[in-house]
Amino acid sequence: MAVFLQSLISGVLIGGVYALIGIGLTLIFGVMRVVNFAHGDIMMVGMYLTYLLFTLMGIDPFVSVLISFPLMFLFGGFLQKVFINRVLNAVAQNQILLTIGLGLIMSNTVMLIFTSDYKILTTSYSSSTIQVGGGVSVSVPLLVSFLITAAITAALGWFLLKTDTGQAIRATAQDRDAAQLMGINVSRMSVIAFGLGAALAGTAGALISPTYYIFPQVGSTFTLKAFVITVLGGMGSVVGATLGGILIGVTESMSAVYISSGWKDVVVFVLFLLVLLFKPSGLMGKSRT
Amino acid sequence: MTKTILKAAIGLLFLAALLVIPRYVESPYALHMMILLFLSVSQGQSWNILGGYAGQYSVGHAAYFGVGAYTTMMLMYSRQVVPWVGVWVGVAIVIVVALVIGSICFRLRGPYFVLASIAVAEIMRLSAINLTTLTNGAEGILATEIPAFKIGGRVITDFLTKVPFYYIGLFLALFTIAITYWVQHSKLGYYFQAIREDQDAAHSLGIHITAYKNIGLVISAVLTSLAGAFYGIYVGFVDPPTVLGLDVSVQIMLICIIGGMGTIWGPVLGSLLLVPLSEALRSNMITEGLVKIGFVSADSRIGLFLKENLAHAHVLLYGILVVLVILFMPDGLMGFIKKLAPRRNREAV
Repeated sequence: MAVFLQSLISGVLIGGVYALIGIGLTLIFGVMRVVNFAHGDIMMVGMYLTYLLFTLMGIDPFVSVLISFPLMFLFGGFLQKVFINRVLNAVAQNQILLTIGLGLIMSNTVMLIFTSDYKILTTSYSSSTIQVGGGVSVSVPLLVSFLITAAITAALGWFLLKTDTGQAIRATAQDRDAAQLMGINVSRMSVIAFGLGAALAGTAGALISPTYYIFPQVGSTFTLKAFVITVLGGMGSVVGATLGGILIGVTESMSAVYISSGWKDVVVFVLFLLVLLFKPSGLMGKSRT
Repeated sequence: MTKTILKAAIGLLFLAALLVIPRYVESPYALHMMILLFLSVSQGQSWNILGGYAGQYSVGHAAYFGVGAYTTMMLMYSRQVVPWVGVWVGVAIVIVVALVIGSICFRLRGPYFVLASIAVAEIMRLSAINLTTLTNGAEGILATEIPAFKIGGRVITDFLTKVPFYYIGLFLALFTIAITYWVQHSKLGYYFQAIREDQDAAHSLGIHITAYKNIGLVISAVLTSLAGAFYGIYVGFVDPPTVLGLDVSVQIMLICIIGGMGTIWGPVLGSLLLVPLSEALRSNMITEGLVKIGFVSADSRIGLFLKENLAHAHVLLYGILVVLVILFMPDGLMGFIKKLAPRRNREAV
């Protein structure tokens, strides 16, 4: 029972960070209908940013979120304005290829600068845990990152539901043409949405860096995970992505314990294929267009 | 009419030149480059049939490349099965794998198909890492020597030089080009193109789209697995990232996209551009060239930096090229050339 609880808790905690990656992807897809294959690489850039801030200036990874969030927002906005904006009306395949290309450029540029060595960001609390009782313990960095994730998700929810800009983003996601006719600046909303998506991915990178290896190719794994999460939750649904993230986190930690850690990703991908086949609209989605 | 004869004559001349190259060129490096070129052409051409003609963007072709390479190598390594037999076992397995993948993935369209194809290839890669008793896991399989090819006790070749590989590669590349030519000019190819242009319209015209997509996938997968087996035997080493990684899928696809999808010569053009470029980066030729013309000095910081790092930059180059191609010439190099060609020549092209 202790083992079960232990893996459930760590699954939920890591799932919170996954949710953040998934929300970013789903936001971009919702507003632009662009499937961003560079999402994991954007997260990887966030990880290296955190690593730099930590090693050069000694800024704690969790504090550095305050710096990396706006920087990654600008980075995302730049990517949208210069590249993605040009293919908004192209066929889906070309959008996918463009983002794959951008991802390759990011991961290989980082590799040129930092080499492909694994970097580890060791903080004083990297391996500290809190005993909850009954033999169950909670990792401190995972707990902190989960709390930050929850706060960011709540703030994002408030932003999307209550502010004018947030409502304009949601209107653009619902119907781009109608939103434009209502006087919403849809191209600016696209820049903001991509910026936010990148910022969320970068933040996830920052939050995961104390507990994960940092290397240039780390992105592709997370791109795939982000897709699994968003498809599971329903493309374009923020609530779905949150649930999907936690579900994937729990699935991973459960299969690592009860099957083997080598096969945990296979379990996730098989689950993904099953969802694609039997419920392609996802858990919360309405349509698959 | 005279034009056709002229074209055929030039083609034959070119072919003859390719056939006699190993007689006159002894440099193993030059042959190695040609072999890489042939391999790249056959990879790009195999993808072309499914992606370029039938419009199904598979980003999981590493699955077929890897299964072809692994089956041949595994059989040779642990069962002492000679590669030219093992290859066909690989093909048989790939047909089964492709039909299973097709029956799952072809229910999906657009980005969902792309995602499913990636997921399947990743499952393959992770399985190769985890099934250590079968595949040797992350260590990979190293073949120290390839048994000599004999017909009735007479040794045809012992695979000690690069020459036999040159001819196998050449044959493979020509074979894939021929298959593409046949696809483009057959009823099958017209069905593929109808599916690519508009699935629903094709369906309403009575084309069984799932069946034809599966046919396209099987042809493409078999050719890819042949290329994979050839790669395995030529390099003598396979491990999960080099034959089953996501990078492999992306590179196979890019050859075709950069060259021009849905054209016979697109993948050839793509290979002619990509293979020398990435080889020049890998072998530090560019840095040496820059040093030679006095652009950077060999001992300066930039020179040292370039020398150390450009060798790893060929994937970066792929990324930059694909971004440029999508933004500025979405029909690839082939489409770009066709646009440049004057209108009256268009029928000839």
